[in-house]
Amino acid sequence: MGTFDGLNIGLSALYAQRRAIEVAGQNIANVNTEGYSRQRSEMVAESGPVVPALFSRYEGTGLGVRSVEVERMRDQFLEARAHREHGADAYLGQVQVTMDRIELAYAEPSDTGLASQLADFWAGWDDVGLSPTDPAARSQLLERATTLTSTFQQLDQALADLGAASVEQLTAAIQEVNAIAGRIADLNGNIRSATAAGLNANDLIDQRDLLAMQLAEHVGATVRPGEGGSLDVYVGGMALVRSTSVEQLTVEVGAGPAFAARVAWVDDGLTATVGGRAQGLLETNNDIVPAQRAELLAVAQRVHDDVNAIHVTGFDQSGAAGVPFFQMGPTGITVNPLVAGDPTRIAASSSPGAIDGSVAQQLAAQDGPDGLYREMVVRLGVAAQTTNRRVEVQDAIVQQLDAARESEAGVNIDEEMTNLVSFQHAYSAAARFVTVVDDLLETLIGMV
Amino acid sequence: MSLRVTQRSISANTTANLQHSLSQMQRLQEQLSSGRQLARPSDSPTGTVSALRLRADLRRGEQLVRNASDGLGWLGTADSALTQSLDVIGRVRELALRGRNGSMGPDDRAAIATEVDALREHLLGIANTTYLGRPLFAGTAAATVAYDAAGVYQGDAGAVDRTVLDGVSVTVNVTGPAAFGPAGADVFTVLVDIADHLRNDPTQLGTDVAALDQRSLDLKTELAQVGARYHQVEAMRSRTEGARLDAQNALAEVESVDLPRTITELKMQEVAYQAALSATARVIQPSLLDFLR
Repeated sequence: MGTFDGLNIGLSALYAQRRAIEVAGQNIANVNTEGYSRQRSEMVAESGPVVPALFSRYEGTGLGVRSVEVERMRDQFLEARAHREHGADAYLGQVQVTMDRIELAYAEPSDTGLASQLADFWAGWDDVGLSPTDPAARSQLLERATTLTSTFQQLDQALADLGAASVEQLTAAIQEVNAIAGRIADLNGNIRSATAAGLNANDLIDQRDLLAMQLAEHVGATVRPGEGGSLDVYVGGMALVRSTSVEQLTVEVGAGPAFAARVAWVDDGLTATVGGRAQGLLETNNDIVPAQRAELLAVAQRVHDDVNAIHVTGFDQSGAAGVPFFQMGPTGITVNPLVAGDPTRIAASSSPGAIDGSVAQQLAAQDGPDGLYREMVVRLGVAAQTTNRRVEVQDAIVQQLDAARESEAGVNIDEEMTNLVSFQHAYSAAARFVTVVDDLLETLIGMV
Repeated sequence: MSLRVTQRSISANTTANLQHSLSQMQRLQEQLSSGRQLARPSDSPTGTVSALRLRADLRRGEQLVRNASDGLGWLGTADSALTQSLDVIGRVRELALRGRNGSMGPDDRAAIATEVDALREHLLGIANTTYLGRPLFAGTAAATVAYDAAGVYQGDAGAVDRTVLDGVSVTVNVTGPAAFGPAGADVFTVLVDIADHLRNDPTQLGTDVAALDQRSLDLKTELAQVGARYHQVEAMRSRTEGARLDAQNALAEVESVDLPRTITELKMQEVAYQAALSATARVIQPSLLDFLR
């Protein structure tokens, strides 16, 4: 054992403890940084040569301590699970937003919704039935019919707008996905070269994980560790990022009137199976909105059919046979312009020339469309309620999972303070050790 | 291994809990300020369908009550017109009987005949009574009067029906021939005959009085029917009004907020929120830092 080995042991201890103090400092500095994973300085005892040689046998205690690496505390399995659940949460959240918007559009139950307007419309027929010759009653009925048809149109437009808005959102989201994928590929390159050079890339890896989580929320991306410390990102089983190469996604919108959208790979035009928020947006545009519009159209069609079937059996004020009251056009249901322009064309009477309101009374007693509309609102309510419950459950899952991730990767100030104090003491003790060795050497030199 | 707890997870958890508590409070406050517990279908799909149905029922009930009121107007006007007609006919009968008396001279009878003529005019006026501008006894015809000056019926046999309950409609008009007799034998013709016979042939007056009695009998029958229908419509109207009241109560139960319960819930939620806030203040503050040196 060499004379100055003691000094080296002390020095290695000073280095290692200082390194550990720095790591604790870095942890404390990033206690509130999103996506930061706590780090731990890993120390190993430096042993002497363990292979005995012929004329040399090591008899020392060891050569101090060495700080091997700064370890990043993060559980990759938890991360993979978090990607899945966050993706599902983003999807459900988007569907919830859609359902909420649709419910707001219908505004039921209320005094202003379609249901009350239908009731007003039927009541208008009764008023015409009571006084078939009263022009005021006839004009009022026409007014209510026009209000009803424009409400149908407004609702349909609101739904169509919702679909269009979701496609716009989807396009923006996919653009962001492409940008993020590019940054992940860049980071992959940086991390690979840093690792190859033996440098610490922990903070870059944190950034990359944060971006991967964003992709999981946007398109339900999944990740797999690639070669050389890179991270490969997959969307629907196809690689979006592989090492440093990136694929691009795009949104394609079909022709009207359906305007069905899809997310496709720019490269080969194949459809990408997306999850996350993008799936919610696609579902809004491709399934939820068209289904709602079809149901609304069915109610309008029923109003059209029921009213016309009875109206044509009647006779108007001048004794002419009734014309269809409503007509269905490209803009949906409208009042027949023949009737809209001339209230006397409302066919309230059951026999030509008579002052009779029996046809109007027959119309007033209709409630087929109301029943259909009620069923539709209930179906919507049940669907929205189901979504709300699923979101609640998924939120709880995500919260638990995030707690577990935070538990693994988060910084605890108490813990860091404890570490800091113990490393500080270790540092002081190492310094003291150096002083002792120095004293010993001085004693030795003084003897000469 | 138990979960490591970190400052961030504590603050994330407490924020989430405070958020949840706050959103509960917001929901309750929304209910209180709007007075409604059903703001959208997903709040309660079954409640929503009840609310929609009850609202439709209420609106329909309102209309049925209006229909019934209109019907009562028709029947009430017919009732008083028919009663007046009976009075007139009674007076004519009296006069005819007096004219048949042999002690009457031709001049006296002529005077009576003049009065009968005047009464006929009066009866025609009654027969042309209108309700809301429509001749009451003209059926569904688009005529301005039920009987013209010659006593010829201008109306038709059409029925004016009012729907007073769903599926129940009541005829609320009386046609001229039903009330005043068939054409040719109607009360106006009888009155013309009486006046004529008073002037020229008093021996025929016996037959005339018999014919008049027949008309009077028909009128009474019609009057009884009108009275019966009036009561029927009135009973149905009060039934509809009762049903409307029930529907209103039911709607309030489904849709309106239960004030005492909601206020209590809000208070409880406030307490919970305050407790969560003060707990948060205590939990987040201390760390080992506070105790080192």
